[in-house]
Amino acid sequence: MTTRREFLNVSLVATGAALAPRWADAAGKATKTLTTARESSFIKAFDEFFVKTLAPEYEKLTGVKVGYEAVSVGGMLTRLTTIAETKSGPEIVGTGLNWPYLFDSALVDVSDIAGEVGKKMGGWLDIVEDVVVVNKKWKAIPWGNIGQLENYRTDWFKEVGVTKFPETWEDLLSAGRLLKKKGHPFGFELGHGFGDNHGWMYPLLWSYGGREVDKDGKTVLIDSSETAAAVDFCRRFYKETMLEDVLGWTDVNNNKAFLGEQISCTNNASSILVVAKRDFPEIAKVTDHALNPHGPKGRFHLLNAQSLALMAHAPDQAAAKAFLRWLYDDKQMSRWLAAGDAYYAPFQRAYDNHPMWQPEPRYLPFKESLKSSRPHTWPGPQGHAASESVAKYVLVDMFAKACRGDSTKDVIATAASQLRQIYKAK
Amino acid sequence: MAVGPASVARPAPVTGRPLSLRRTVDRESVFSWLMLAPGVLFLLAFVAYPFFYGMFLSLSERRVAQPGVFVGLANFVTMTQDAVFWQVTRNTFVYTIVATLLKMVGGLGMALVINQQFRGRNLARAFLLLPFIVPTVLSTVAWMWILDPTFSVINWSLVNSGLVKETFSWLGNATLAMVSIIGVNTWRGLPFYGITLLAGLQTISPDLYEAAAIDGAGVTQRFRYITLPVIKPVLIIVTMFSVIFTFSDFQLPYVLTHGGPANATHLFATYAFDIGMSAGVLGMGAAVALAMLPALAMLIVALTLYLRRE
Repeated sequence: MTTRREFLNVSLVATGAALAPRWADAAGKATKTLTTARESSFIKAFDEFFVKTLAPEYEKLTGVKVGYEAVSVGGMLTRLTTIAETKSGPEIVGTGLNWPYLFDSALVDVSDIAGEVGKKMGGWLDIVEDVVVVNKKWKAIPWGNIGQLENYRTDWFKEVGVTKFPETWEDLLSAGRLLKKKGHPFGFELGHGFGDNHGWMYPLLWSYGGREVDKDGKTVLIDSSETAAAVDFCRRFYKETMLEDVLGWTDVNNNKAFLGEQISCTNNASSILVVAKRDFPEIAKVTDHALNPHGPKGRFHLLNAQSLALMAHAPDQAAAKAFLRWLYDDKQMSRWLAAGDAYYAPFQRAYDNHPMWQPEPRYLPFKESLKSSRPHTWPGPQGHAASESVAKYVLVDMFAKACRGDSTKDVIATAASQLRQIYKAK
Repeated sequence: MAVGPASVARPAPVTGRPLSLRRTVDRESVFSWLMLAPGVLFLLAFVAYPFFYGMFLSLSERRVAQPGVFVGLANFVTMTQDAVFWQVTRNTFVYTIVATLLKMVGGLGMALVINQQFRGRNLARAFLLLPFIVPTVLSTVAWMWILDPTFSVINWSLVNSGLVKETFSWLGNATLAMVSIIGVNTWRGLPFYGITLLAGLQTISPDLYEAAAIDGAGVTQRFRYITLPVIKPVLIIVTMFSVIFTFSDFQLPYVLTHGGPANATHLFATYAFDIGMSAGVLGMGAAVALAMLPALAMLIVALTLYLRRE
């Protein structure tokens, strides 16, 4: 290149050459590919089964190639936001918690598929409709719940004379006192993680009768004697059984601490046992799960329904629906769930006695917990305000500040003030 | 060989002939804009557009995947009534001021040391740059392990050396968590100060030091009357950049503490992200992010004016 003209010509030609394949591709594109985006699973075999078995089977059957974009754990909400805002990217997306409400207008009504699946599979558990049915329309189709239960060391509990996991929070506190004295403290996350904190704090609040907000979404209920009782219990539970560090923990810390033999009990999904079986077989032998303890007003668990939804920007919604219909058919779904090693507890009633529950009885409490699972901020509506409350850690910080030493009255007053602002309540 | 101005001068238009595309492109004024265009377009697309869109969002009640409604300054009013916002403001100022001061003093010390003649100096300079080169997320994950109560090398060293009996909860205690993120930020930002100030130090002629030494100036006086005045403009520029980076820091606190415990390490960027991306309240998230603007704008204007006066 010796002249400006040549330089410009070369630049333009190079740019054109770089863009040409994309334009050509976009112009002549028929539905030959579908992309799904989903949070990568803790169970590697679950993702592998999708990529190596299900997707090739579907391609062989229909000629449609199904891609899988694995999103890092904890990052799916951000990815979903960018997909919905830019109206581009994967057509089929994974959802959890109350996200179908959050992205309602960006999602396609899939009631037809959900209805067919429910009919074939003995119906859906009612509770799941609270998080995937928006204005009477199914906006996502669930495949399973990631439960948050008690993970504990059976050998250390036995050392202090506890042979059966405590039934109530007070009994768990008593056991925790003994275990801490023996050098085996508890470690329940009280920091700004995304799951293991809410996983036990909402159930604790509910089991003492406390609620954030009423069904109407306008009446803030947090300032109550029931909440005060839960906060007082939490403070004692923290001081008498736990490590100080739990106040700063995020979701990875309790797994590390449990597998590092630093704690004797935590609230987590079954991922601890899964990893222990793979990498720490001796710890796996003495690890078990239990339902969350009872409080004075019942026993609760947190609902986190993993589902697939169809984005409204999908260029060929019929093709995407056809894939979902195929995937949720028992022939495929049953094998996929089995590959998941019972990490996901399905909501289809026909799967109550699915073979996936047989090989490992220690996963059975996750199935059992579905009956008493409730979504975040329950009984409040699952809208944007619920997401804001969760994202601002209103409940988590209420408990954490009390554990840090703030008075019960102050922490509840702060939470109530935040909730009134979030729910635009008086 | 002397190069005459004719070789770069714009060719004179030929009167009476229409301007062809070739002639138009060859005109200096047109060609210079063509060359600038990619850079300008890049800035418009990735700096100006997001900035103005952020301002627009902050003035609307805008939820994710929903159309927005213009609400004027309502988001800013709501924000000022949020106790967490004020805690975040305090956190951000403490984090920025303390970390910047530490980096300034430490970076100056580092620059003075690596400006000396010693064996392996170049290797030392290369190693000192490592914290700045390693991606923040990666180095922060390493710090998570270093500060972890179970596996912390710091706690292990302190206990095994007999200095303390009980381990510290680096990320669980509110004060220690702030100390920790400031420490990690200082570790990461120190090389930026050190290398930039080193460049400033190397512009100082050794003659100046020799002359001062002959006149009887000691080490402190030489530093005060020669080194400091010469590197002052560099120090101000690097401080300005450092304040901007530290004030808007996101990756480090997000990975290390996610704003916890109980918001003790939440900064503007992490809080804005949680509100905008996790809660889906894009308007309010943009308003919180824009809360950084006045302080940074004032700082930039003040430092620019100072530099001009100098």
